[in-house]
Amino acid sequence: MSENIKAPKIRAKKGRKKSRLPLIMGASITLIMVIIGLISIFWIPLDVNESDPSIRMLPIGTPGHLFGTDYLGRDVTSMLMTGVRTSVIIGACSAFLALFIGTMFGMLAASVSKLDEPIMRTADIFMAMPGIIFALVLASTIGAGYLTTIFALTSFFTPAFVRVTRASSMRVLAEDYISVARLYGRGKLFITFRHVLPNISSILIVQFTIYFAAGVLSEAGLSFLGVGINRPSVSLGMMLHEAVEQIGITDPLGVWPGLGIVILVIGLNLLGDGLRDYFDPRFSQRAR
Amino acid sequence: MMEDFALKVENLVVSLGDLVAVRGISFVIKKGERWGLVGESGAGKSLTALAIMGLLQDGWDTSGAVWHDGINLLTASDKKLSTRRGRTMSMVFQDPTTALNPVAKVGNQITWILRHHMHVNEKEAIEQSLALLNKMNLPRPESIMDSYPHQLSGGQRQRIMIAMALACYPELIIADEPTTALDVTVQKQVLRLLDTAVTERNCGLLLITHDLPVIAAMCENVAVMYGGRIVETGSIAEVFTNPRHPYTKGLLASQPTLDNIDLEGGTRLTSIRGSVPPLYAMPDGCAFAERCDFATDKCKELPELDDQSQRVACWNPIAITQKGA
Amino acid sequence: MGRFILRRLVFFAITLLITSVLIFALIRAAGGNVAAILLGKNSSAEEILKLSTELGLERPLPVQYFEWMNNFLHGDLGQAFRSKQLASHLIWTQAPVSVPLSLGGLLLAIIIAIPLGTYAAKNFNKPSGAFVALLSQIGIAIPVFWAGLLLSLVFGVHLGLLPTGGWVPWTENWVGSLRSLVLPVFTLGIVMASTLTRYTRTAILDVMNEDFVRTARASGMSRRVALIKVGLRNASLPLVTVLGLLAAEMVGGTVIIEKVYSLPGISRMILDNVTAREVVVVQSTVMVIVIYVMTINLIIDLAYGLLDPRIRVGK
Repeated sequence: MSENIKAPKIRAKKGRKKSRLPLIMGASITLIMVIIGLISIFWIPLDVNESDPSIRMLPIGTPGHLFGTDYLGRDVTSMLMTGVRTSVIIGACSAFLALFIGTMFGMLAASVSKLDEPIMRTADIFMAMPGIIFALVLASTIGAGYLTTIFALTSFFTPAFVRVTRASSMRVLAEDYISVARLYGRGKLFITFRHVLPNISSILIVQFTIYFAAGVLSEAGLSFLGVGINRPSVSLGMMLHEAVEQIGITDPLGVWPGLGIVILVIGLNLLGDGLRDYFDPRFSQRAR
Repeated sequence: MMEDFALKVENLVVSLGDLVAVRGISFVIKKGERWGLVGESGAGKSLTALAIMGLLQDGWDTSGAVWHDGINLLTASDKKLSTRRGRTMSMVFQDPTTALNPVAKVGNQITWILRHHMHVNEKEAIEQSLALLNKMNLPRPESIMDSYPHQLSGGQRQRIMIAMALACYPELIIADEPTTALDVTVQKQVLRLLDTAVTERNCGLLLITHDLPVIAAMCENVAVMYGGRIVETGSIAEVFTNPRHPYTKGLLASQPTLDNIDLEGGTRLTSIRGSVPPLYAMPDGCAFAERCDFATDKCKELPELDDQSQRVACWNPIAITQKGA
Repeated sequence: MGRFILRRLVFFAITLLITSVLIFALIRAAGGNVAAILLGKNSSAEEILKLSTELGLERPLPVQYFEWMNNFLHGDLGQAFRSKQLASHLIWTQAPVSVPLSLGGLLLAIIIAIPLGTYAAKNFNKPSGAFVALLSQIGIAIPVFWAGLLLSLVFGVHLGLLPTGGWVPWTENWVGSLRSLVLPVFTLGIVMASTLTRYTRTAILDVMNEDFVRTARASGMSRRVALIKVGLRNASLPLVTVLGLLAAEMVGGTVIIEKVYSLPGISRMILDNVTAREVVVVQSTVMVIVIYVMTINLIIDLAYGLLDPRIRVGK
């Protein structure tokens, strides 16, 4: 070994940073779908419920009916746009409500030890209840529709948010600076909203996108069964339901709504993964 | 011809992307020799150990060479490495609560090593394991063999870790903060066990710790790491009585001893001002310059280890006084 | 372990009790007058009152609940208002379709997902691993019913290999029954496998970063041996929990798949009764399904206890 050790050349190599591609792709896809939904509120080519027997089952690419027409001569383009809107609204609303309620109860369980056990056991019970069955029961009693679907999905998703919020709040509450804040005389409420909430918000945002996607899928499933969204509203799952009921599985119209759901859900999942990597690069380095 | 060293590290660099954590270190551990590696957390001690064992997480790159048992560990295949890990070189980790497989019985974890490396049969493996546990002063080794890790205390688990490390008479043991996670009373016992075992087996020891008295008690030589480099190295007697690098001096001065605690006037414990520069902001010159009282313009250039017996990498080393500090 | 089993059983019983109250409350309280629901919109107040008295609906709700529970525990699940068919009879005749479908799907998902997820984790920094991860990502995004439609389009309509729907009773021709179940089980299996593959991959990647895997490798296990001997065994713990969640998803998937393939299963029966607003039948059938899901969960919980020495052996 040479006596005088030379310092090796240390040159900054190009960093092996995790690519931002999923985040960008996911955000773009989600944004495009949201914009399509937004546009459909103000403008769609034709009324989604206006049938015209003389133009039934027009093929894709027909002038004036970009995606063709269905078995009653209704414009598929308009139905697709409205359906995307329904998916986005129901997915976002149920995920947001679950986020809101779940975060409240989760933080309550984490900071008030007396309420911990009751809240968590209740969450366990709700979690064991199959969501679709729950939605079916609701549909049989208060009737199917927008609000029923959102209500059913929210009750189905909330326990997951309760669990995640509680677990991550506990982790924050175990940190030393929380003990310092307590010694300093800070109240529970102050600590919860000034320290815990900001620290778990990134986890919650990721969780929100995951359940947004789950909401889109569940709504589609319910509407496909005929107990979700019904006419005069339109949803992608309902379009598939109509196509299969009226024409059968060979109906070429079955392709588009399904593809719409897949694209939206992939977009949301990519967004969720991308955000997770963005918020927690250490985690992404080791696992993803 | 057999090599006379247990480990030879040449210009080891460990990096993650453009972050360079270990910036070219070299040292040789002869068989039966005990080396201490000290430094603050973030100095690159543990990464050095993991790089030697070939257990860095995915994404970390290495360069330089680490010679052991006739091969360069940095370039050897996982298969080649796995015939040496646990056999000719082994490692004791810091946290015994997470270092043992929670779903396997302790006995199976020890006998696996013996059967895998020494090719002994089940019965012999159990006998040898029991003997090992006995050596580790573990009471009722039979029941310990039959336990799961969660049923044992931290001290017991760390003794098991040491037993596993010693099982196949390795040439080299790397112990990374082996007692940091243990109670003070248990620390002594565990260190004594390690000490006896290393002496008996004449194997090389690389002891990593930030606890200077432990190094002083256990090792013959010491290397002080700062900012991913070795800044001073030599025998314990030399370095601890006459630190030449300002950082080593600061490190020794910030160690509480009975001498520097003045009960009436409060403690005279000093600390080094500032903190270790983060990896992404490591200066080109001496990494310690910003915190150093003796820093000059020259320190913007990188100092190399000099050629004396007590080697130091510093432009303005502290002169050696004959009488000690 | 004994205490663990006992605790689980107590929790199982309490959960069922609370769920039954929940179902009852939801249907009776949220739904309003059952008689009015049964008779439909065009019924007169007189008719509704008459039916209410007949069904004992004017009594206090707790009394009705206990009567329902009492009957339920004695095997009387009520009967349909219009067809007069017994709910228990309906369930009994549909179970041979739904149970093989749901359990078969779950089993297939496990068989596909565990090796695939392990492979993806082992090769997470290689293109092949990324490809598997991508496949599962896409699979998660595909709605169950659409997967069913596409599969029956390809294998049923275009290739003509398997029936796209319909059912032959087991007693009549069991080969025919099996053939009818192939596509549905396959659909349910691959959709659930997508989710499970992803979880398997994550669970194994997490475990492989644990200290004890490092110890195992430090004592001479190669990457591959450590993955199989230490990684898989430890990763199975979080995966068992995931399986419990999948059991609920499985029932939802079964409902939809039975619809896609026109199978006369238990979930189809609920759907028909929901549409026909047969409240009593729905109430009892839902309870049966919840018991089914929770029993699967209980079994999974006990399996978890068996796998984890920290629970099995205790302190």
